[in-house]
Amino acid sequence: MSDLDRQIEQLKRCEPLKESEVKALCLKAMEILVEESNVQRVDAPVTICGDIHGQFYDMKELFRVGGDCPKTNYLFLGDFVDRGFYSVETFLLLLALKVRYPDRITLIRGNHESRQITQVYGFYDECLRKYGSVNVWRYCTDIFDYLSLSALIENKIFSVHGGLSPAISTLDQIRTIDRKQEVPHDGAMCDLLWSDPEDIVDGWGLSPRGAGFLFGGSVVTSFNHSNNIDYICRAHQLVMEGYKWMFNNQIVTVWSAPNYCYRCGNVAAILELDENLNKEFRVFEAAPQEARGAPARKPPPDYFL
Amino acid sequence: MEWEADQKELKEAGAELLPDGRVGLRIHGWEIESSKASILKSLQRQEWEEKLGTCHLPEMIFGHSSLVLKHLESGLRIHFNAFDALLGWKQEALPPVEVPAAAKWKFRSKPSQQVILDYDYTFTTPYSGSETIETNSEQRGASEESNGNLYWEDCEEQLDLVALASKEPILFYDEVILYEDELADNGVSLLTVKVRVMPSSWFLLLRFWLRVDGVLMRLRDTRIHCMFGESMKPNVLRESCWREATFNSLSSEGYSVDSAAYSDPSLISQRLPIIMHKCQKLKVPDVL
Repeated sequence: MSDLDRQIEQLKRCEPLKESEVKALCLKAMEILVEESNVQRVDAPVTICGDIHGQFYDMKELFRVGGDCPKTNYLFLGDFVDRGFYSVETFLLLLALKVRYPDRITLIRGNHESRQITQVYGFYDECLRKYGSVNVWRYCTDIFDYLSLSALIENKIFSVHGGLSPAISTLDQIRTIDRKQEVPHDGAMCDLLWSDPEDIVDGWGLSPRGAGFLFGGSVVTSFNHSNNIDYICRAHQLVMEGYKWMFNNQIVTVWSAPNYCYRCGNVAAILELDENLNKEFRVFEAAPQEARGAPARKPPPDYFL
Repeated sequence: MEWEADQKELKEAGAELLPDGRVGLRIHGWEIESSKASILKSLQRQEWEEKLGTCHLPEMIFGHSSLVLKHLESGLRIHFNAFDALLGWKQEALPPVEVPAAAKWKFRSKPSQQVILDYDYTFTTPYSGSETIETNSEQRGASEESNGNLYWEDCEEQLDLVALASKEPILFYDEVILYEDELADNGVSLLTVKVRVMPSSWFLLLRFWLRVDGVLMRLRDTRIHCMFGESMKPNVLRESCWREATFNSLSSEGYSVDSAAYSDPSLISQRLPIIMHKCQKLKVPDVL
């Protein structure tokens, strides 16, 4: 058994790698990811997955439902880390699979694959806690900069973490972005990872936060038409039923973190496309408690004031 | 895993757990019950949107979760739920808070036909609980709910912190999330209520916690304390305390402006200046 296969087995048991192993793995991954396009071509059949957010045991449930990699070809739409308890093991397992089977798994970048966001929402603290230093966080966030921004399945289905950008009307415009950087606060790359479809606007909307685009049905119609694609598949937003179509089936949101944050009680979904691009959504629930290693502890009485 | 009560302590205090899998207890004429459920599904969200007259709601609404404290003798019912809290949000309707990136966005070229949304995406609410009186109307043969003669009267009395600090056994403890929103990864908006019941009293904290990363923090706490007594009428005291600070003001006082340092409001609440504080007593009408 090669070192890499051994590491994959170890990660599947939710045991993190040594710091030196993470460093070597990231270097190998970088060599593969740097060759990928901003609009990475993906062949069908493929199974598309949305946000995971460090919910390692629920991702194992996902692989149980969708089949193991490399037997199943996977496309993950980003947000591997933050919020859940096991961002380190989750991201490293996906990255190790990418290095081992580069043509059978595609990872694109979500807005949480960022230095700034991970410092607030959990991944940074988790690395510090599990390794006693921030080196592993550094190796991983350096790899985030190399992740592709989108994928195109059989030239027909455009996949991205967040959504569209008013600065982008053709796929070629995405291809020209210099992606190897921290996710910027504005511009096309930021929009692809952050924007959301919105029912109540037809064209473009600006979030009440003063930053962040919302796009309506007519924007999607014209994007799909000019790029000759059937529909857009994206993630980024929690949907209680696991997936949600909008604008007459021109865009679908796929969400793959069941019982999000271990308390929402939602189901998750993955989208399976066969070689003819026929769709099947596989809906699944959170992994049962007994599959999660250490049992949840009874909280101590809290004399809050 | 839920909090588990000690049977011996319950018995000594004259309390009993609720039957049939319900979560809570009966003690000194009170029935205290919490319910926790999943977030609302898409169809239920749509119903709430219609009822509340909005198309924007927190992404996680625990619409079937609640905490209810019922005084059996008087029919008084103090309860906490997401719907009433969102009614409060809708009525207060604060102007939106701009995030730091907004300054740069003002210089971005505008797409044609751009709509600027302007609802309060922080879901800030003045909600401090709901209360009703259930009266048994014999003519109609049904129980009726109203808050007719119930009201909160400002008072000088303060919460008895000494009594609350005593480490008497906790017979029942729970925390219920009512709603939560991640502000699209720009912070957190969270409304929760937690309760503890001791042999001498019950105490609860309803907390609205908001952090808009790099901009501001807002904490609206409602504490309610009820000492068990001989009187037929319950003696319920409520303290409201609102705190608020901008990251700019914290920075000028030398505090960290790192959002990660502000994940637990209990640890940093003292850094946020008080902007409103009052104590009130619940006036319960004579039993009909």
